[in-house]
Amino acid sequence: MKGNTSIAPPKLPLKFFRWFCNPEFTEDIEGDLLERFEKRKEKGVAAKWFFTMEVLKLFRPGIIRSFNGIKRLNNYGMFKNHLKTSIRSLRKNALFSFINIVGLAISMSVGILMILFLTEVFSYDDFHIKKDRIYRVTTHAKQPGRELHFATSSFYIGNELNEQVSSVEKLLVLREDLYADLKINEKAISITGFYSTASFFDVLSFKLLKGNPNTALASPGGIVLAESVSKKLFGNDDPLGQFVTVEDNDDFQKGIITGIVEDPPINSHLQFEALVSMKTFETSPKKYRRQAKYNKALISDYHVYLLLKENAEIAEIESLMVEMMAETNSKWPQASLTHFLQPMETFVTDGDSYVREPGPSFSQRLIYIMIGLTTIVLLSACFNYTNLSLARALRRSKEIGIRKVTGASRSQVFSQFMVEAVLLALFALVISIGLFYLIRPGFLNLPNPSAKGYQMFSLNIGYKQLSYFFLFAIGIAGIAGFLPALILSKLKARVAFGDASNIRLIQGVSFRRILVILQFALSISLIMCAVLVHKQYQFALNYDLGFATENIIHIDLEGDNLDLLEHEYAQLPEVIQTSRSSKILGVAKADAGIMISEDRSDTIQVMLNKIDGDYLEMHEFKILAGSGFRTALREDERIRQIIVNEELLKSLKLGSPEEVIGKKVWFKSSDYKDISLAIVGVVKDFTSHSLTEESSKSFAFIQLPMNQGKRTSKERFLGRKSKILGIKIRSNDLLTTIEKLENIYREIDPIHPFNARFYDDEIAETYKNYKASYTIISFLAFLATSISTMGLLGMVIFSTESRMKEISIRKVFGAGIQNLMLLLSRSFLVMIFLAGLIAIPIAHHIINNTLLSNFLYQAKFTVIDTLSGLLFVFFIGLITIGLQVRRVALHNPSDILRDE
Amino acid sequence: MKKYQLGEFEEVVMLTVGILYENAYGVSIKKEIETRLNRKVSVGALQSALKRLEDKEYLRSHDSDATPERAGRPKRFYKITALGKKAMQYTKETRNAMWDSIPDVALDVKFVTN
Repeated sequence: MKGNTSIAPPKLPLKFFRWFCNPEFTEDIEGDLLERFEKRKEKGVAAKWFFTMEVLKLFRPGIIRSFNGIKRLNNYGMFKNHLKTSIRSLRKNALFSFINIVGLAISMSVGILMILFLTEVFSYDDFHIKKDRIYRVTTHAKQPGRELHFATSSFYIGNELNEQVSSVEKLLVLREDLYADLKINEKAISITGFYSTASFFDVLSFKLLKGNPNTALASPGGIVLAESVSKKLFGNDDPLGQFVTVEDNDDFQKGIITGIVEDPPINSHLQFEALVSMKTFETSPKKYRRQAKYNKALISDYHVYLLLKENAEIAEIESLMVEMMAETNSKWPQASLTHFLQPMETFVTDGDSYVREPGPSFSQRLIYIMIGLTTIVLLSACFNYTNLSLARALRRSKEIGIRKVTGASRSQVFSQFMVEAVLLALFALVISIGLFYLIRPGFLNLPNPSAKGYQMFSLNIGYKQLSYFFLFAIGIAGIAGFLPALILSKLKARVAFGDASNIRLIQGVSFRRILVILQFALSISLIMCAVLVHKQYQFALNYDLGFATENIIHIDLEGDNLDLLEHEYAQLPEVIQTSRSSKILGVAKADAGIMISEDRSDTIQVMLNKIDGDYLEMHEFKILAGSGFRTALREDERIRQIIVNEELLKSLKLGSPEEVIGKKVWFKSSDYKDISLAIVGVVKDFTSHSLTEESSKSFAFIQLPMNQGKRTSKERFLGRKSKILGIKIRSNDLLTTIEKLENIYREIDPIHPFNARFYDDEIAETYKNYKASYTIISFLAFLATSISTMGLLGMVIFSTESRMKEISIRKVFGAGIQNLMLLLSRSFLVMIFLAGLIAIPIAHHIINNTLLSNFLYQAKFTVIDTLSGLLFVFFIGLITIGLQVRRVALHNPSDILRDE
Repeated sequence: MKKYQLGEFEEVVMLTVGILYENAYGVSIKKEIETRLNRKVSVGALQSALKRLEDKEYLRSHDSDATPERAGRPKRFYKITALGKKAMQYTKETRNAMWDSIPDVALDVKFVTN
């Protein structure tokens, strides 16, 4: 045009105009705009500015194009079409869809597990109505050489805060060492729980079913029972106001039931069977219990909770606490105490940071690790889906071409592929829920020391969780299906009809290759770990301890009528023999004692078990010389005899088994102070402890005192056992037999729980951590293998499909199928071997230094065991590659070459 | 009486299209209104009025050949249809009838401002 072409209309407004304007008017209105622009330009006014303003003024309803959505308001038909074609295409490639679905499902089951786990962790203590205002006072104790964070603090600081700080609304102090036997009308029950101040029900929202929340814990001896405990003790009677006798407790002898509280829910950080009024301490016969609340430095026993007012300043209260402790800290600068406030929502999730948690807690680090691992697993599964779909799409390019030619817009092709991905993900979701139920028990049994023996998680699926799963599946479909949908919908019809191998879909083949090698290395090492841990676990279960453990049931003895019980049991026809001992051998470490030779020249540590007369015979110990004990130690009898094993003879240099009978040795233990005992028998060596426990091999049996050893509530609180009844049975119907045993037990000892288990189960229980890790590792191996197989499959399909022409030409020139298969699969097999080369040494290192390093007796691993992972993966890989390659190699070359 | 609906601005546009006769297209219509009535007309308002009138079939349009001063864009010329003419006439008549019915007194300013 003329001289002033240099000024063109501004681009952005023009673009914007073209975008929003109804296509019917675009041409002529744009013409008007340009004409006016030119005129203004000639006049020399701010043409660009006016142009922009005019465009903006055109942005009005009559001019704006109608929205696509409005055009496709009725897109049900299109959706139906997408759904139908998706199902058809999934069915047409049934194997491919199956692999894709299963691959996705396996990783999604981990995601489901994670969703359930996280919702449960973060729902802890949600039922407390005043949750956001509840804080607990924690203590940071600096001692020479160590620093500790306590979840506890002193009663003193709680009282000071309550009196001096106006923003503290309520103070609640708990003390967790409550254990007692409660007795009423011949019935009795043992309980554990908390001592609590009267404000318990004010601050926390546990539901008090009966009683007055304000006074229930206000006076000494007031006991609030959990519902289930109260049912056991009182049945259907009204427990309120009943007096109970308290045994096994130093602080009080008589209590009154002042309330019944609903059992604490599973998501409570406080778990208890009973609450007792903290006032009880004031009448305690023990002086240190009465005065504990005034001690500023006693910071490890009291759990101090504060209910703060809405506007409370946390930092202010914390600095006040520093002032309160300043005097004490300056007196003992080497052990300074600092108090902090911790909000309730982090009680459970910040589990690593504190010692002396009152109940279950969870490590925050572990939560992050789990989220991280899950994300990695899910992302690599999504990556594989993407990979596989893209590889597969080479085959579907014609379909896309036809869709485009018949007028499908890009967004329609896009949504077609998204619908397919969502459909696939929903199928996968169903399968993954099934898979989840397979791994659930393994996860629930994972050792978690910070759970304090409570079941922290239920991992149950409700409606809320189901809706999360649904969203999760959609999300996964979005991530996994986005890229293929985007790339394929971009495909031009012209390209789509052309040669499939010309389509450059994915770059970075070598990157993918490395990824697949790493995935394989991971699977190989995981499979190897699983195989070896399993082998070691079986080895430990079947390990010959040197004595019989079959068909023996153990019962904890707790009541007073032990002789009667044993006598009654012996009457049963199924019972072959009974015997008592203080320890169960082969399970954990036995007690230890010191043995000194008669001339006091040698001292050795021995492991110890107290037994009665039948023990050795019942467990089929091999007696090399002498005999066993005749009976247990009667009350009027002094301990004189000892039975030892061969190893002990060697360590003390006492000579041969025959010579040693009758010789004297000196013996010390926690019960006996340097006594002289005569050796009456020698048994063959055996394993007295679990295979993971380091322990002296010298062993000695001494007589079990007849009526000593009743377990106290305190011992039960601390988890100690001191007397066990072993019963050897011969029965075809074990359940009925155990029921019989239980009935007799209940008759004789109604107070204490009947706790029976098989010897072999107990041994298995010792190694349950290994079983749990075996379960988890196997699952991970399964996961990794399926993910890597999918990755491999994607690679193989991709490379074979894009080499179709080459293969056809080779065939035309006379290449045989075996030739072709070798050609196509060689590079992949090399990849697997490379993976093996990386994986095996690493896995070996991990097994020996981490997984099984605790075992002192290791199973012998064969070459096959070591190579198991590689062989398995190789086998799977071979099938994957073989099937694909065979399909391609069998193809008729004329089908592919005829277009050329 | 929704027989012929014509808003004030629409009527102005129709009249201008009539005045310009063979040469009624976006830019010229706008210029004509602006000079005759001495008021600003935005392209957006004008265009949407034109589209509306076309929808009501009072106007008809056809594209001209491409013109170089408009960077190759066609001009869209507007013409009044028979229906459009009726509508204009109807509007004019109803207005006139209404003018005639106003009693003289009503237009006496003194009474209005009392």
